[in-house]
Amino acid sequence: MTHQLGRVVSQILGRHFGEIVQQVGNDLFMYGSKTIGMIVKTTGLPRTQVIESLRTLLKFDLATFEADATVEYKLNSENILLLIRYPRYLLQMKSKYGSEAEMIVEELLQQASCTATVLLVTVMNKYKDDKEKNLNIVNLKDTFISLATAGYIQQAPVAELKDGSEIPILVPVATIVPDLDVRDLMQAMTSNLADCKDNTYWKVNYDRFHLDFRDDMMIKAITRRIDENAGELMRLMLEQMYLSSSAWAVESSPAAACDLRDLALRVHDRPLLHAHVDHYLKVLEENGASFIRRAGDAGGGQYVVRTKRAAEQLLEALLDHTVTERLGSKAARIFRLIRSKKYIEEEDIQKNAMLPNKECKELTYKLLEEHLISVQPMRKAASAGGSAKAIYLYHVKLYDAAHAARELCLRAAHNVSRVSSATRAAHARLLDKQRRVRSIVHGMRVRGEPQQNIDDVLETLTPPELSAVSGAERRLRALSAAELELDRALFLISCYFAFPR
Amino acid sequence: MSDKSDDAISEKILNAAKNNPKGISAKDVAAAVPELSSAELVAAINKLLQQGLFDLYNQGGSLLYKLKNQNTKTAIKGADNEEKVVFNLIEEAGNKGIWIRDIRHRSNLANTQLTKVLKSLEGKKVIKAVKCVNASKKKVYMLYNLEPDRSISGGAWYQDQDFESEFVDILNRQCLRFLQQRADKIKNNPRGPIVGRTQSFATAAEVQKYITDLGISKVKLEVEDVITILNTLVYDGKAESNVYPDGSKVYRAIESLIPPPGLVQVPCGVCPLVYKCCSTGLITPQDCKYMSAWLDQ
Ligand code: SF4
Repeated sequence: MTHQLGRVVSQILGRHFGEIVQQVGNDLFMYGSKTIGMIVKTTGLPRTQVIESLRTLLKFDLATFEADATVEYKLNSENILLLIRYPRYLLQMKSKYGSEAEMIVEELLQQASCTATVLLVTVMNKYKDDKEKNLNIVNLKDTFISLATAGYIQQAPVAELKDGSEIPILVPVATIVPDLDVRDLMQAMTSNLADCKDNTYWKVNYDRFHLDFRDDMMIKAITRRIDENAGELMRLMLEQMYLSSSAWAVESSPAAACDLRDLALRVHDRPLLHAHVDHYLKVLEENGASFIRRAGDAGGGQYVVRTKRAAEQLLEALLDHTVTERLGSKAARIFRLIRSKKYIEEEDIQKNAMLPNKECKELTYKLLEEHLISVQPMRKAASAGGSAKAIYLYHVKLYDAAHAARELCLRAAHNVSRVSSATRAAHARLLDKQRRVRSIVHGMRVRGEPQQNIDDVLETLTPPELSAVSGAERRLRALSAAELELDRALFLISCYFAFPR
Repeated sequence: MSDKSDDAISEKILNAAKNNPKGISAKDVAAAVPELSSAELVAAINKLLQQGLFDLYNQGGSLLYKLKNQNTKTAIKGADNEEKVVFNLIEEAGNKGIWIRDIRHRSNLANTQLTKVLKSLEGKKVIKAVKCVNASKKKVYMLYNLEPDRSISGGAWYQDQDFESEFVDILNRQCLRFLQQRADKIKNNPRGPIVGRTQSFATAAEVQKYITDLGISKVKLEVEDVITILNTLVYDGKAESNVYPDGSKVYRAIESLIPPPGLVQVPCGVCPLVYKCCSTGLITPQDCKYMSAWLDQ
């Protein structure tokens, strides 16, 4: 809960839900938890608006409440950060399950939670005129079911009233994959949605996506380090891991080499992997950035996936990149040197890094200043001369360095989103005008009006306006791409924090 | 081997050397003391070297032992007592040299006098002053004909006590190039990844040969020196090292586990002002030049 987090969270809320929610969010963030009355008092907003904002926040799981004598609200900042990850979820769905899944998840993210019937019918109605998509309810239903089976969507917690209390508490429920009847769905499409009987609510399960992202990072890393076949093997090992261990376990339970071999032989189009499975296992173990470890010899060898170690390694790679870009490759050399030696004296840094004395000192102090390394003074036992000289040992506290990197990411994310809202504000009128022109032109095209009239409408945007607007759009695109990339970095760091220290 | 027989052997060797003022080879020594095994012989020679009685020369590829020139001693002749004391101290220090303060301490000479003595000895080219690499102000004295120890001169990386960082940089880059040439061998190698890995590894000796053949270094680089450079590559994160079963070190070029992360793709990630950049004030994201330059590129 740092100041930087607060700044980003506030920006995100402002962009997605407008100023009032942003104000309420800021207030909650600053004070931790608060009652409605208190929020009204400090923000000076009318009570109805505060309640409305809280309702929005609660609906999207961006705030929680605790009921004692009074009901206190609390911001869920981690979930707010996820709002910038939405495009990535959609992309993941599209590449893994196709565009129908993407539409379902998109709708569900927008609705926060809703019943299967409402969800599918809304998606269906939204796109039914779209010939390209060519939706049909049966496919949609099947996709929904496979998403539920794979755990990308889950049942939302249900509200329960405790005896003698008016405040409901949310109780998580186990997801049961539903049996949807197509005929009911068809009927719901034609009738009024409000009176459908379905009352099981669904929502998106972010964690399931995060597992995908993490696996993807690990597989890509191995592919970079060794090759695609090794990456494929890594994927198989992760798959195997999910069968027997919890997803965020520090280490998976051991998998037998012969099982892995069988799995590998079943993969298509990997002749090299088929021919050299054992060799790949060995190379993966020895040169695979210690992602896996041989745990025993039973059954031709047992292998363990070291998920925590992998997260650390990935984090270290991120830190290395950051140091390289911020302070130069020499500083990165010092940084890695200190890390690999655990504790090291200044003099030895210089000797091993092969850098001139002065440069080396300067860089070391800069690293210190950015909280990427730390220093530990050690008093030598006073020698006979009484000159008790302290020696200074440098070392890397990964946890602290990760925090520093996270802060940096949050700062950057805030700045990027700040710039994009400033850009949007500066060109608000033009962007708005363009949007209107576009929708008018679209309408005219649909109606099949002559090209001449369409051109007339298009010309209401003058060339200087057009160039200004396209410039602004380009900037906004670059900014949102940057935001997505920053979110990837944040995700990598959060993977590291997901494990116990 | 008792001390007495030790001395006898030393004497025999010395005699042989005396007879050959041009120097004797190891074979000659063996001929002078045929009763010794080669290991004992080496020990005996080492002892004499340690005592500073012998100089070692490399002539046409074979080593020659030469009885130490007595000149240095004679140069001292005619010198006064102070000079003798100082000379002895410096001689004792060997090629590690001795610091002026230690000389003063142990000779009990006054500062001015000592400086004078040192000057005079230096003038006679009997001793020399050498700057120490790891303490720029510190000078040590040693006999004129000695090659300073690595700890003093810093070895190949120093020229006149200055660290040659450019030289190190060039070597660092060349080593990396050499490793990268074979790094891809591990990828999809038709003979399997283990063979591929072996092919992508390079031993330090191979790298040394490559560097020597390039002819970029004026000084001769030993394998040890190349290992030092290769290790900087490891610290750069551009190579990893393994040890072969026979104990030799091997290196291979690697890539980082991840492509440059989003953090360093936005200006803020590399911005020196990032910790001063606030929502209001002099440095703000809205009017940031770096940002607009980046967006307009
Ligand atoms: S907005 Fe500009 S000044 Fe602020 S951190 Fe980013 S690059 Fe630096």
